[in-house]
Amino acid sequence: MRKLLACLALLIVVAGIFSGCWSRKEMSELAIVLGAGVDRTPDGQVRLTLQLARTGALAGGGEGGGGRGATTWVVSGTGSTILDAQRKLAERISRHINWTHNVVYIFGEEAARHGIRQYTNYYSRSPQPREITWVLVAKGEAKDILETISQLENTSAQDIGYLARAKTGFSINFKDFKVMLATKGSNPIASRVEIVERGVTLGPEKEKSVVHKGAALTGTAVFREEKLVGWLDESETRGLLWLRGEILKGVITLSSPTEPGKEISVEIMRGHTEVEPYYDGESVWFVVKIVVEGDLLEQQSSEDITERDVRKAIEEEMAREVEEKARLALDKAQGEYGVDIFGFGMAFHRKYPREWAELEDRWDEVFAGAYVDFVLESHLRRSGLLGKRGSVRE
Amino acid sequence: MTRFVKPLRVRLFGRRKKGSGQDNSPKDLQKDKVFSDQELQNLGLSPDLQANLLQVREILSECSDVVFREFDFAQDERIKLALIYVDGLVDKTQVSDQILRSLMLDAPLVEQGGEFTRARAFMLIKKKLLPMHDLKETNNLGQVIDAVLEGAGVLLVNGHACAIINYSRGWEGRKVEESQTELVVRGPREAFVETLRVNTSLLRRKIKNPNLKIETMKLGEVTKTDVAVVYIKGIVNDKIVAEVKERLNRIKIDAVLETGYIEELIEDSPWSPFCTLLHTERPDKVAANLLEGRVAILVDGTPYVLTAPLLFVESLQTPEDYYQRWPVSSATRLFRLFTIIVSLLAPSVYVAIITYHHEMLPTALLLSMAAQRELVPFPVFVEAFAMEFTFEILREASIRLPRQVGQAVSIVGALIIGEAAVRAGLVGAGTVIVVALTGIASFAYCYAASMSIRLLRFPILVLAGILGLYGVICGVLFILVHLATLRSFGVPFLSPVAPLNTGGLKDTVVRAPWWAMLRRPRLIGMANPQREAEGLKPAPPPAGRKR
Amino acid sequence: MLEGGKIDSKQAILLMVAMVLPTAFLSVAAVTASLAKQDGWISILLATLGALLIAWLAVSLGLRFPEKTLFQFPEVILGKWPGKVVAFLYIWWYIHLNVEVLRQYGSFLVAAFMPETPISVFMLLIMAIAAYAVRNGLEVYSRVNELILPLILVSVVILNILAAPEMSMKRLLPVFEHGAVPIIKGAVMPTAWMGEIVTMAVLIPYLNKAKEAYRIAITATLIAGFFMLITQLADVAIFGPVTAAWLFPGLDAARVIHLANFLERLEPVVMVIWVAGVMIKISVFYWAAALGSAQWLELKDYKPLVLPVGVIIYALSIMAHDSLLDLFAFLGMFWGPYALTLFIVGMPLLLLVVAVIRGQGGSRH
Repeated sequence: MRKLLACLALLIVVAGIFSGCWSRKEMSELAIVLGAGVDRTPDGQVRLTLQLARTGALAGGGEGGGGRGATTWVVSGTGSTILDAQRKLAERISRHINWTHNVVYIFGEEAARHGIRQYTNYYSRSPQPREITWVLVAKGEAKDILETISQLENTSAQDIGYLARAKTGFSINFKDFKVMLATKGSNPIASRVEIVERGVTLGPEKEKSVVHKGAALTGTAVFREEKLVGWLDESETRGLLWLRGEILKGVITLSSPTEPGKEISVEIMRGHTEVEPYYDGESVWFVVKIVVEGDLLEQQSSEDITERDVRKAIEEEMAREVEEKARLALDKAQGEYGVDIFGFGMAFHRKYPREWAELEDRWDEVFAGAYVDFVLESHLRRSGLLGKRGSVRE
Repeated sequence: MTRFVKPLRVRLFGRRKKGSGQDNSPKDLQKDKVFSDQELQNLGLSPDLQANLLQVREILSECSDVVFREFDFAQDERIKLALIYVDGLVDKTQVSDQILRSLMLDAPLVEQGGEFTRARAFMLIKKKLLPMHDLKETNNLGQVIDAVLEGAGVLLVNGHACAIINYSRGWEGRKVEESQTELVVRGPREAFVETLRVNTSLLRRKIKNPNLKIETMKLGEVTKTDVAVVYIKGIVNDKIVAEVKERLNRIKIDAVLETGYIEELIEDSPWSPFCTLLHTERPDKVAANLLEGRVAILVDGTPYVLTAPLLFVESLQTPEDYYQRWPVSSATRLFRLFTIIVSLLAPSVYVAIITYHHEMLPTALLLSMAAQRELVPFPVFVEAFAMEFTFEILREASIRLPRQVGQAVSIVGALIIGEAAVRAGLVGAGTVIVVALTGIASFAYCYAASMSIRLLRFPILVLAGILGLYGVICGVLFILVHLATLRSFGVPFLSPVAPLNTGGLKDTVVRAPWWAMLRRPRLIGMANPQREAEGLKPAPPPAGRKR
Repeated sequence: MLEGGKIDSKQAILLMVAMVLPTAFLSVAAVTASLAKQDGWISILLATLGALLIAWLAVSLGLRFPEKTLFQFPEVILGKWPGKVVAFLYIWWYIHLNVEVLRQYGSFLVAAFMPETPISVFMLLIMAIAAYAVRNGLEVYSRVNELILPLILVSVVILNILAAPEMSMKRLLPVFEHGAVPIIKGAVMPTAWMGEIVTMAVLIPYLNKAKEAYRIAITATLIAGFFMLITQLADVAIFGPVTAAWLFPGLDAARVIHLANFLERLEPVVMVIWVAGVMIKISVFYWAAALGSAQWLELKDYKPLVLPVGVIIYALSIMAHDSLLDLFAFLGMFWGPYALTLFIVGMPLLLLVVAVIRGQGGSRH
């Protein structure tokens, strides 16, 4: 037995060596995909754009001198499916395309408008790409987004990834996006990515300074079922976040209750949203309860916030501001697009599982006509290091 | 007496030609004859001193270190004596002062006015004239020879078919010194030496108990090495002692020069890369093991002592663990467990990740690794293998090298091979780091275990090169199954973890405080499990007792 | 006796858990979620209840003949030839079980980790290790399991904790949306999984304390049930309606873990759990098959049969299914009813009834 096992082991070793170690891929044989974009060509083909890391140029410090040339290499290929397009690309890339470290998966606007489901399957079926990749929709073409360069990060794909991770707007990973696509009673949303002016790289003289354009997150893409129907801008996106009860970071800026024209900024520390659906057999309405807590960190006006009444007034103003933002997003979703992007349907489903069966197929209609009531609760918890303003003469 | 001597002489000198007669001159010695043990044991002594000497000379012919000192008892020419000893094995002052001087010069003082007769001489010598600590009497020639070779002075008295063995052993040996291979910061520093008696004395000094039994036997047909089996009766499991002795008695080998010979001849799983007997040169470790119910085997001529049964967890333990404070010891042990894993798996996991599982690395790390590997011409498997091999070369060389050139090796090793290979782009810096880490880690725990694990590192590396992480897991599983099959003198090698004994876990990857380790290891010390009283946990005196 | 080893109750519990859990951990959620949707956890509870009954059945049967295994006492109960037939069917079942497990094992590794590598390599290597373990006997692989299983259980818990930020308990609501029928359907497969506890009827003669067999079987079932439950809950809370689409939701649950941009990409942990756990699972069934064959043939030792049985299992599982989907369809549709009615409930019940009627077997206990 012992000998036999030894023979078996030997056999495996020999078989392994002679068949060339099946899945073995040296790191220097990899084309590491950091960003991928999908566009739809006018004739309905898929154009896959990959942003690959030029590892040779990334060598940090030490030998050989790092930073030779661009850090990324962007290639595009067209095919009838994503895998087909990738095959075509493989003819032009000397290394194995490796998806495991893809950071962002960007859909072009045209592709998104024609239905996104046909582009998501490869991504979850293949074991290489990961479910925690960020999903974004480009305003315009995904290819253009991937062809930008980043000033701060090594690659623009990583740059976008970090922006998404910071969750200043709405960002969603592939897994949650897929769950949204699969869930009745909610429509998918993803963050919008757009090329904007992001900063200036200074030259020796003013004229030689380069205005740097780069990709940035500028709002949210709204889908009906699987098709892109429109966008929410940044401030509507904040309303969306309030309504979805996502973890919030950011600032509420409100006008001073006593001095018109002067503003106060409150940093949001904590927020909480509850959606309670009601149904009486005919109409559906919702009560949305939002709790917001924040720290006052900037005050243009000079009222004395150590006074209780002033704080009360500021808190009320905070609540009004939040409700306004939420209304903005809600109106757009109910009115302009007529889609439930807040997961109200799921809340309804949970509360009225039986009634849901009748409504689920025309939910977006029902949602568009639903009345939404807001109940807001706001708290000013702290005020930074100051109590009263320090620079105001008494 | 003649009846006894005659056949003996025939047997001894049977091949001599007729006419050689009674001539006992040395030139007639038969130098070629090889005496077997059996033959020697059957030889008796004759009352005739010259005949005895002849026989002994014949047996010990061409042994230039053997001294035959013939002299007269108390300057009385009637009584001839001869002292036989091996030069260098006896304490010369003892031989001169307490044997020769006493018998030649001091004898008349003892028996003032008395008449020395042949008949009385023997009794006198034995009772009054040899102020030696250990004397023995024998009439067997075989025993005489053995005694001489062991370092005793053997005194033959003319007219008596008896010899007096004076244990005046005293040879040049190493002093008890600090252990070179098992160092501690806190704890006793002495280590065993090459002399069996000194070693047993070191143990006896630690365990002053009549139940500390030291049974000796001789192993090695040619070397006749003394081997001692040491255990504490009442604590040890008698079955294990019996088993040890039975296995030792089975040994028929020409020589036992080190405990390693014995180890390989009595272990449970001769094919395993793991050793199932512990060897150590620290008396405190042996004493602690004896007190847990283990058996120790000491061999003359080596400072290494075997103890059995050995458990796998012992490779995590050092004597110091028991002297240091327990939280420190526990943390150190966990750390040692980690070093075992690192030294077994680090290179293979590295190879597996770099060649198969790129997804495991964080993106930033992957990019910098990839950038690094851009320049390296070899597959990482080849590279890791070569570096591991290089490390083994350096390690082996640094053990064998004369101490004066040791420095050179470390410079060549560290600078030229490490630095230059990376600089030249032959080897990735990552590989060097991993290999160096592995190398260092393998010295952080029990040396014996680290040898086995170092050996196993290579097959796992090959598996990793072929099958990636899957190969590594399979290799580890294979090792685990193998470890589970091992037993050391009937005790499962992986106990007390598998089979699980919760009480035993107190002394495995953690070391419980002494007041909590109430019992000896279950499968080893089961004859007498309780080792300390309960309720020893120190606490402030109860309030009532405070004044 | 054919198998000289004896194991204690702790080891037996761990062994019985390891026999059920490793494969279940990976795909149980998909099976139940495809039928019972978000109510899959109720299916698991039901299945645990069912498995407890099965455990009781198997142990009651086994304890009537504490000296004999499942392959021996049918002869006593039913007479020589009918008994031999039943015992033979059980040997076949263990081989078949192993064939499916082995195939599933290899398929997973190929699909999820190393698509270019032939499946036979994975299966061959694990069979070699299992053969080594089985040849060294029950005691040895029980000990290995004692080391491995706690690590597996701890890893499962840690993975679930790390995945917690991705979970939304709301995805488990509403409860009982589609009524009881899907829930019961969803419970069939987990019951068949946990019903493998009938192996107790093979193990009883090799227990240190046969009297504790009830306790062993029940504890093991509860532990396995508990871990299936938390896996099910976690997977559905992470993936909601997508759960059923994954072939291995357990793997994907580990893939979504990302904490502090450092603790991510933990699927190799899943691979470790899978390889180590399945090794034990295969060893148990392999051992049962080899031991059963030896007892059926009335040999003195089962060790010479280890290799032939292994070769049969290996060959059959190479031939078993064309594709992974085929395998899953087979396991999902056919396996549950087949194993449950025939081997897990049917025959033991028959044997027990006949034994009780004929008054066979000791009621010494």
